[in-house]
Amino acid sequence: MAIQVGIGSSTQKDSILAAKEAVSEARLKIGNAKADLAIVFSSIDLSGTPLLKTISNYLSGIRVLGCSGAAIISNRGIFKHGLVIMLLSHSQGVYFNTGLVKNIMERSAVQAGEELGENLLHGFQGIRRDLSVMFSDGLIESSSDLISGLQERVGVSFPLAGASAADNLAFKKTYIYFDQEIISNAACGILWGGKLNFGLGTKHGWKPLGKPRKVTKASGNIINEIDNAPAIRIYEDYLAMDTAELKNELKRISILYPIGIYLPGEEEFLLRNLFSIEDNGSIVLQGNVPQNSQIRLMIGTKETCLAATHQAIEEVKKGLSGRPCNFVLVFDSISRYILLGRQAGKELEIIKEHLGKDTPIIGLCTYGEQAPLRSINYLGKTYFQNQTITIVAIGG
Amino acid sequence: MIGSEYLALIGVIAIVALAITIFSKMQRISQLQSLIDNLKKSLDEMDEQAKLVVRTDLELNKTQEELDKKVTGLYALQSLSRAISTTLEENQILSMIEVSYLEDLGFEKSCGFLWEDRISAFQCYINIGYSDDEIEEIQSTINADKERYSDLIKNQATLSSTSLAVEPDLRDKINEIFKVTSFVISPILPKEGSKGFLFVGTEKVDTLVTEGDEELITILSNQLGQALENARLFEKTWQAHQELEKRVEQRTRELTLALEEVKRISKRKTDFVSSVSHELRTPLTSVKGYASILLTEKLGVLPQEVKLRIEKINRHSDELAQLVNDLLDISRIESGRVTMKAEQKDLKKIAEEVGELLSVQLKDRQIELIIDMPGDATAAAVDASQIKRVFINIIGNALKFTPPKGKITISSYKTGKNIQVDINDTGCGIPEEAREAIFEEFYRVDNTINESVKGTGLGLALVKHIIEAHKGKIWVTSKVGAGSTFSFTLPQEV
Repeated sequence: MAIQVGIGSSTQKDSILAAKEAVSEARLKIGNAKADLAIVFSSIDLSGTPLLKTISNYLSGIRVLGCSGAAIISNRGIFKHGLVIMLLSHSQGVYFNTGLVKNIMERSAVQAGEELGENLLHGFQGIRRDLSVMFSDGLIESSSDLISGLQERVGVSFPLAGASAADNLAFKKTYIYFDQEIISNAACGILWGGKLNFGLGTKHGWKPLGKPRKVTKASGNIINEIDNAPAIRIYEDYLAMDTAELKNELKRISILYPIGIYLPGEEEFLLRNLFSIEDNGSIVLQGNVPQNSQIRLMIGTKETCLAATHQAIEEVKKGLSGRPCNFVLVFDSISRYILLGRQAGKELEIIKEHLGKDTPIIGLCTYGEQAPLRSINYLGKTYFQNQTITIVAIGG
Repeated sequence: MIGSEYLALIGVIAIVALAITIFSKMQRISQLQSLIDNLKKSLDEMDEQAKLVVRTDLELNKTQEELDKKVTGLYALQSLSRAISTTLEENQILSMIEVSYLEDLGFEKSCGFLWEDRISAFQCYINIGYSDDEIEEIQSTINADKERYSDLIKNQATLSSTSLAVEPDLRDKINEIFKVTSFVISPILPKEGSKGFLFVGTEKVDTLVTEGDEELITILSNQLGQALENARLFEKTWQAHQELEKRVEQRTRELTLALEEVKRISKRKTDFVSSVSHELRTPLTSVKGYASILLTEKLGVLPQEVKLRIEKINRHSDELAQLVNDLLDISRIESGRVTMKAEQKDLKKIAEEVGELLSVQLKDRQIELIIDMPGDATAAAVDASQIKRVFINIIGNALKFTPPKGKITISSYKTGKNIQVDINDTGCGIPEEAREAIFEEFYRVDNTINESVKGTGLGLALVKHIIEAHKGKIWVTSKVGAGSTFSFTLPQEV
């Protein structure tokens, strides 16, 4: 029997009213099935203890997890303000476990990832692992290490997908939801196993431009030098702007022209958004860049973006191998939402067109996505990525 | 010897071959170097082209963004205008500005203030993006410098962080008060009641307020002003309407009471007339009976003088009996004790019977009676005996007031579900002021004919009661000196 799903959403301004409305709708949709897991995404204005308390009160005994987003996604559309909740009732033979890790920044992110992995594996002995989904604070700088730590524990034989929580582009505070807790500087996840059918697709659509460059000095998510020159020079040269002008245009440039890291053996470049510019000419990116790696400046358009969505869906369909899907998780970069502007809804239309207009869809606009660069011929490595649309279609 | 020469030759050949190979390799290296240089040059050129592509792309994206922003802003403005126009509640109008609309207009913070005469200060009615403490602080700061914001209303001008570039101190002060980096302030100017201003702003450092933004916010504040004005006018009209409703209700209550009183009095009158008429009929019958007996002279011959007096008593008794009967009929109809036994009857036949009945009088007075009732407009659901009285009364009156050689014409035609009968005479006519009153009891038109012709003043009152009891209407049109037309309607079917 397939996983039973009930989805509810609300755009009420009051978090308690929104929670009541969304939960009521989700419960109505799931019908008589007994929900055992709830995934919740909300805009930052609704993030708060009352939201989760109300949800938990209505769903007593059910594990609740999720995070805040720059916008929320449901079958009804993409909303900058609102709440979406998905209730799941797992079928026999499909197992899941959830886990939480706090205080990531106070220690090594690898260690935090390992702790999350251990939590997820609790009670999972002897069960085949199929898929892991993670939600992490969107403002932690060591997401790549967090993923490494997690995969160190849970293994790399199956893919990991996830989203970095977001706020309203203020980049001040993002939140993870876990039962009644609303926490920053944390990550939570779900590990599915047993016999889970799913399809995973992730694509960005940005293309390399100009000469290949070499990162000659870097540490973590900071590139100090490219081709032995201050890293910011690459942007100064290409855009004919000085550092002050670049700082003013940072958001636009970060979205349109991210840095692409060449990964031997991978077809796609791994993208890194520009987060800030330091006074010494170093650039701070959303995610690590290894020293000596080859990089390119990347360029994207609305058209390449939407073409990538089509490609991601094709990967999802290949993964499902013709089996029906019960629900879809969408982790869509906020950069794509901004770039697409008035066409932002088209990505959702593409998903519905291919996976069914009535298939329950829940998602958020993120500050980063966690996914392998390809799910077909998966090479056992999940990356922290920017600018992608990551689609997980689960068939139960 | 030969061997050493041979070896020397081989050595020379080898050296030459090596030289050729080296030369060829060097040539190849040179070619490759040239190729590499060309490739490097091409790559550099390509990189330069890439730079041009990026710069052009950035410009295109900026233009596209600006266009998108304008279109989104216009859509937001349209949606807001629609939302604002759906309510006439002052408080609801201001609460229509929601954060999603504001974001589509390119801002995330907004507050709206209206001047309150009651407290001589600006009061906040819109708050988006500020905490309660923050908005209270902003309100206090504004009220501490209220002249500046009152001037803004007086000048009816929109200000923005861009237009205030020439007054950086003021711009920075506003930015500081409202905790933003860019803003637009536009006055809200309803014609009636308190005025105010709308503030919108953003904390984003990369946002520059354009003239287009200023225009959109000015349109929005104008619409708010217009909507507030409409709401206030509506409120005023509604209050007046409520007041009027109250008065109408009060007056209706008074009129209902008065009507009840009139009905009560009318019933008492009817009861009184009925009982008096009954009481009068018994002695009247005796008077009439005795007068008739006396006139037969069976009780003895009467002196001529006495006989004349008794004849008068007899005649007056008849008149009085007629009066009493009419009064009794009216009171019966009024009280509902008599109901009309409606049956399908031919009105023409009734009219002809009445003409026959009055033929002697018609002949005496040389008056022609014309009955012009077409066959398809004569059938009505009526109580024949009562309608006969109607014809008798109206034609009788016409006889009285029409000079010799005159005409009385009866005509009829269909009007919807009714038959209308017109009885026209060539008599003296009825003055305008009397046309309503002739249907009242005991009313008699003040003219010379009435002075000489006897009448009770009850005939037309009775006619009116009979017609109304048939759910019909009666009225008169007349021209003094030219004649009158009495018209009444009767239902065609029961």
